Order: sequence, then C-alpha cells, then structure tokens
Amino acid sequence: MMALITEKKGCVMSNRDLEYYQKMIEGDKQSLEAIYDKYEKLLYSFVIKLSSDHSLAEEVLQEVFIKLWTQKAKYDNTKGKFSSWIVTITRYTAIDIIRSKKESVSLEEETDVPEEQSESVEDLVEWKEKSSTIRKALDQLSDEQRKIVDLFYFKGCSQSVIAKECDLPLGTVKGRLRLALKHLRKNLATVKGGIRDA
Amino acid sequence: MRECEKVLDYFNDELSEGEKEQFERHLESCEDCREEIEELRSLTDDLPFSSEPVDPPEGMKDRVLGAVFAEEETEEKSQEEENVVPLEQHLEQDSSREVDRPTRSNRQAWLMRGLAAALVASLVGNVFALTGGEETVSEPPAVESTDQVNQRVSLEGESTPARASAAMIRQNGSQLLTLQAEQLEPLQGDEVYQVWLLNGDEPYRAGTFVANQNGEGAVAFSMDQLPSELDWDAVAISKEPNAQSQTPQGEVILSSSL
Ligand SMILES: [Zn+2]
Repeated sequence: MMALITEKKGCVMSNRDLEYYQKMIEGDKQSLEAIYDKYEKLLYSFVIKLSSDHSLAEEVLQEVFIKLWTQKAKYDNTKGKFSSWIVTITRYTAIDIIRSKKESVSLEEETDVPEEQSESVEDLVEWKEKSSTIRKALDQLSDEQRKIVDLFYFKGCSQSVIAKECDLPLGTVKGRLRLALKHLRKNLATVKGGIRDA
Repeated sequence: MRECEKVLDYFNDELSEGEKEQFERHLESCEDCREEIEELRSLTDDLPFSSEPVDPPEGMKDRVLGAVFAEEETEEKSQEEENVVPLEQHLEQDSSREVDRPTRSNRQAWLMRGLAAALVASLVGNVFALTGGEETVSEPPAVESTDQVNQRVSLEGESTPARASAAMIRQNGSQLLTLQAEQLEPLQGDEVYQVWLLNGDEPYRAGTFVANQNGEGAVAFSMDQLPSELDWDAVAISKEPNAQSQTPQGEVILSSSL
C-alpha cells in the first residue's frame, strides 16, 4: 500500500517538473524559478557532500541552472525522472568544476565540514522519503564498501585513484564497486521493507 | 587498458576526449559495457538523496537566478552593459590567470556575470534584486534603461590585500550600488561579506556576498530600500559571522569615503 502511494506521489511530482521544464524551454522565467525553488536545497546540500565547499556549491548551482536555461543540457522525459536528471547534471558539473580548480590551484585547502541542520525540513517529498532509508542502507555497508562508493560516486575518483586509496589491484575495482552497490540496493530493500512492516 | 575496463572512468568523465570517443565507439558494439553503465546509473540513482540538508546562504537564489537570466541578455546587451560597468580589465586579468583551463572558458566571465546579472535583474523590475532578505518593491519593467554612473570609488583596507570598487548607478530614477571585490580571504562556515553604507556613524546594510574560490565577489544593491533623504558618507565591507548582522559585528576590512 505504502509503495503504491509513494509511486503515485513520485508520478505527480515528475509531471509537475515536466510541466515546469517545458514552460521554461519556452522562456518562462517563473517556471525556472519554480524548478530552482524546488531543487535549490537538495542540489546545494548534494554539492556540499561532493565538495565540502560552500562557495563552490553556489558556483556549481549557477552553472547548472545556466545549463538548464540555455538548454546546453536537455532533459528527455523518456529516459527517466527529472529529479534524477538534474542531480546527475549537478554531479557532473561539480566534478568538472572541482577538477578544474584542483588543476589550477595547487594549494587546495580542505575546508571545514559545513554545519548541518539538526531538524530535517526538506521541501522535496522525494528527499524526505528517501534520505533516512538511504543513510541507513549506507550505514549497513562495511567500511571498505562505504569507502569505495564514496570515492567513486561522491568524489568522482578515477579507477586508479580508487585502487590506490583502497589498496586494491586495479582490475578488481570495478567488481568491488558493483558488489558494494548491489549490497546497498539489497540493504535499501530491507530497510524499506522494515518500515513497511512496522 | 582494455576498453571494457574503462567503464568506471567513462562514467566519472575521467577519460580524455580521444579515449572517450574511442570508448563510445566501443559501446556501440559491446552490450556488456552498455549494461554496466546502465546498472551503475540505476544503482547510484538514489545516492544524492542521502545528502544531509544544508541551508544555502542568504541571497543565493537572487545571485544565481540573476546570473542565469543574464546569460542570454549579456549576449544581446553586452554593448550597453559594458558601457555601464567596464569590466574588461578584470576579464583580462582573469583570463591570463586561467590560460591553462581551456575547457572552462566561461569561468572567466564569473565576475562579469555577477554584475551584469545584477544589472539585468534591476532592468527586469527588481524581481531578483540582490537585497539580502528585505522586501523589495517591484517596479514595472523598463523598456529603455537610462543607466548612468554617478560615482565610482575604490575601497581600501590596511590589513588586507583585498581590493574592491563600488559604483552608484542611477537607473530610471532609482539608485543601484554595485560593488566588486577581489583577493578576498576565504570565508568559514556561515560567514559572509557584508556591505555597509554609512550616514555619519550610522551603518545601513547594503548587500551581502560571499567570495568564490578565486577570492572574488560581487553584489548589486537597490538603494530604494534605504531612506532616500540620507546622504551617504562612506561605503565599507566587513566580514560577518553570518548574513543576519544588523550592525557590523566583524572587523571592517575595506572602506572608502563617498
Ligand atoms: Zn565492453
């Protein structure tokens, strides 16, 4: 029952997104603003998770919404949800900008971990629904598995960097990563199932 | 490395242009790789939602959307805007600093975008005026703008290499304060740079901004929010613990009399 409701909500949400997106393509600024309002906090928080850098996060968001507005990045609704698409664009934009900074600025400083909000007031239903289950599922991975997921997905590292950081032969990285991600998927199903049973 | 071993680096956009093309040709004929990429995509789909919520800084929406909507307008109106705020010098400096970054050519335009954005924002009726939270009064969209620089000053400080310049711009009967700064120190946590206008000893908030990784920041502030009968004696920038300071809590780093 709960799965059904969730799916229905997700469906309604992405239709609204698509509506906004199509109006935005026609040049409607209010629709871009609506997309911005809906995703600002998720994307900002996501980039901070990727980079731990507040000023960079703002720069990335600017670049993402420029790509949206100028249609340098185009959304195709037959290929998946708008939310998945916009977080993917954000991830690549962040990786790209982080990489270019690292190349040109050698004295890259580790910035401190941002202050996190204690209460969870996300506007995005999808975020609210998924965040705790995903965090729980991640917590259930072994340290090594969490590390490989973090290096690959959140840090965007190359295979050889992952091999070095995790002390693994190059040829085994892909297998280990897939195993970790499948483990995560299984954990997610268990966590979700647990909630439904409760 | 065999082509099939490049899946992860392709997914993370780590391949060179040549390698990428080669791999994409390989993808056409290798179903395993196509499936692996699709699998990686679906297995990582939910991971962004694990991010802990962090509040964006005050005024970010105005700055970002201002810059976004400026993208197309800068192309159309670049002549006009360059007349208002000559940024060529900054752009030249920036591009010389970033010559070894050809793929990111648009990064150099950051400052330009910030300021142009602010100007365009005010052209389209203050909808996205960079005000830092206070209510703004919307004006009807101006068809013809009659921008005019009334005053331009350089801000200096004793204990910092940072520099800034500010300009008062009269536009369709209202005033805009624009300010751009460079060589700023990085901020920590919630810290922001706050612009103040001083009437005698009395400070008035006149825009908030953060510095980018290159130590550059820019802001435009609609003066319509301030009492119009006041004369402004000085403009100053301080580093504040957060964007809420109603009077300077932190040290004033740059200032100039007006
Ligand atoms: Zn293959």
